[in-house]
Amino acid sequence: MFKPLTLRTYLLVAALIALALALPHVIDDSYLLHLMILSIIFAIFASAWNLVTGFAGLKTFGHHAFFGIGAYASALLGINLGLSPWLTIWLAAVIAALAGVFIGTPILRIRSMPHVAIVTLAFAEIVRITISNLQGITRGELGLWGIPAFEGFMLPLIGEVVFNPSVKLWYYYLALGLLLLSIGLIALMMRSKVGLAVVAMRDGEDAAESLGINLARFKLLVFGVSAFLVGLAGAFYAHYVSILTPMAAVGPDLIILVIAMVLVGGLGTFSGPIIGAFVLTFLGESLRVLDDYRLLIYGALIILSIMFMPRGLATIGSFFRRRPAEARAD
Amino acid sequence: MTIFLEQIINGIIIGSMYALIGSGIALIYGTMRVLNLAHGEFYMMGGYLVFFLVVAYAVPPWLAIPIAIAAIFVLGMLVQRLTIAYLLPREEWAFATIAATLGLSIFLQNLALILFGEQFQSIPYYLPGVVEIAGLRLPQQRLLMLVVAVITIAIMTFVLAKTRFGWALRATSQDKDAAAVVGIPAARIYTLTFGIAAALGCIAAAMLAPIYAVNPWMGMPVLFKGFVVVILGGLGSFPGAIVGGILLGIVEAVGVQVTSSEWRDVIAFGLMILVIWVRPWGLFGKPR
Repeated sequence: MFKPLTLRTYLLVAALIALALALPHVIDDSYLLHLMILSIIFAIFASAWNLVTGFAGLKTFGHHAFFGIGAYASALLGINLGLSPWLTIWLAAVIAALAGVFIGTPILRIRSMPHVAIVTLAFAEIVRITISNLQGITRGELGLWGIPAFEGFMLPLIGEVVFNPSVKLWYYYLALGLLLLSIGLIALMMRSKVGLAVVAMRDGEDAAESLGINLARFKLLVFGVSAFLVGLAGAFYAHYVSILTPMAAVGPDLIILVIAMVLVGGLGTFSGPIIGAFVLTFLGESLRVLDDYRLLIYGALIILSIMFMPRGLATIGSFFRRRPAEARAD
Repeated sequence: MTIFLEQIINGIIIGSMYALIGSGIALIYGTMRVLNLAHGEFYMMGGYLVFFLVVAYAVPPWLAIPIAIAAIFVLGMLVQRLTIAYLLPREEWAFATIAATLGLSIFLQNLALILFGEQFQSIPYYLPGVVEIAGLRLPQQRLLMLVVAVITIAIMTFVLAKTRFGWALRATSQDKDAAAVVGIPAARIYTLTFGIAAALGCIAAAMLAPIYAVNPWMGMPVLFKGFVVVILGGLGSFPGAIVGGILLGIVEAVGVQVTSSEWRDVIAFGLMILVIWVRPWGLFGKPR
């Protein structure tokens, strides 16, 4: 993770970005773009979950709470105050980050992993039940609709930017922008002193503390940033699908999907969560005919990847490389 | 006042079921330090087994329930052997086992959905009558639940305190390596413990199934209740889980009287987070 970036890495990232930018002009298919947008939303979510779980070693299972908080906060601010989504997605992300700091403060004192797992799961359930019960505000299980869409504008040289359900192009570019922003933020953080401290903390709490690392502060910072990014993904999701239900926006299925993505892709790697998000979203869609079997397959994927592929798809390349190179890479 | 008292008694009875579920989670955590997220699914499968035996094959409940318990016991041991035992030697075992049992839980839930469909099934009351004690009306079914819970807890307490297996189990949970030195087969103890925990979940399912419906999703809420119970009682403590279960039953009964039933789970989870905040080792445990 702290290896110096080589020219090859830069070129690879640049090529991937160019490919992603060119994609809608090569294949003009709104269904494909829809899948790409969903994959990107999940890639942000999965990367942010991986930031706390894989990099910082705080095994949380309740991050879908922040997705729901971001989604509902942005939608409700738009509906009730008439604010533009361009503003509310950021406000919503800040609200999610505040919620993250609020729940993070008690749990980060706990070193026992099962306690953290239980509290985070329960917190997400509290958020889901509360959203579902406050029918006067959220319309509960009936679903919140009438969420404003992003306003279009004129872009010099390129033309009109519009956001409506039939034109996915600009949603795609906006999502891509948010993904790059999120990954950039995570990469910057992890390659700075914060990253060193966080990884030291994961690999040996007592040793890190004895070296003068303020555990609580770094943990809270990472947790807050992660909640911010998940909230941002949720807020974008709200304005993209324009209808929210508690089960879809805060249901336990969400976190299960994200865990499956990160485990399949590779826990504790930069590219793993992104790879996992794309692989599972497209796999899930190709299984649409077998809709009942989807969660069954995700469950099986979680078990199989943890048992037989604990480092995920992202590191599978090292199996095929020559040994000395692998030894140096570690 | 009578209604209030009836609610409290009902709370204690439901709480005794929570205690059975929580004690299964506590036993597994206490011996092998594994948080079993699939615990609710043993409860669910137990519920379906009893349903099929009693309703579809007309086996009398006194025979059907022991058959179901034995089957879930074997299933629990099998699951431990095939997944947990394989993951325990890993360096990252704590997370690996949580994630694997989560995957297992989703897998089993959806397998049940595919095999048995999404309709809610009901089992008739084993005892249809109502008892009146000092002006309080109690269905015999609920009294039966309490009796079964008391007997189960008594047997478990005896097994843990007085039998060679109980000694071996407690020795293994205190110090696995030291236990191995004196010839206790830790791996076998783990497998048996998992089976027993699953069987405890099945007993709770058999008793609760006539009151709540049997369905593929019945395990998840019960798992969460079990978590609250073990946090209240101190994670890994068997007596703590019993007290925690009954306490949770009473708190929920009173809480629902004060607010409404939609907020029942929020009350339970809120209580749990409060306990973790103030006394992370549980209400009755000692700080380690």
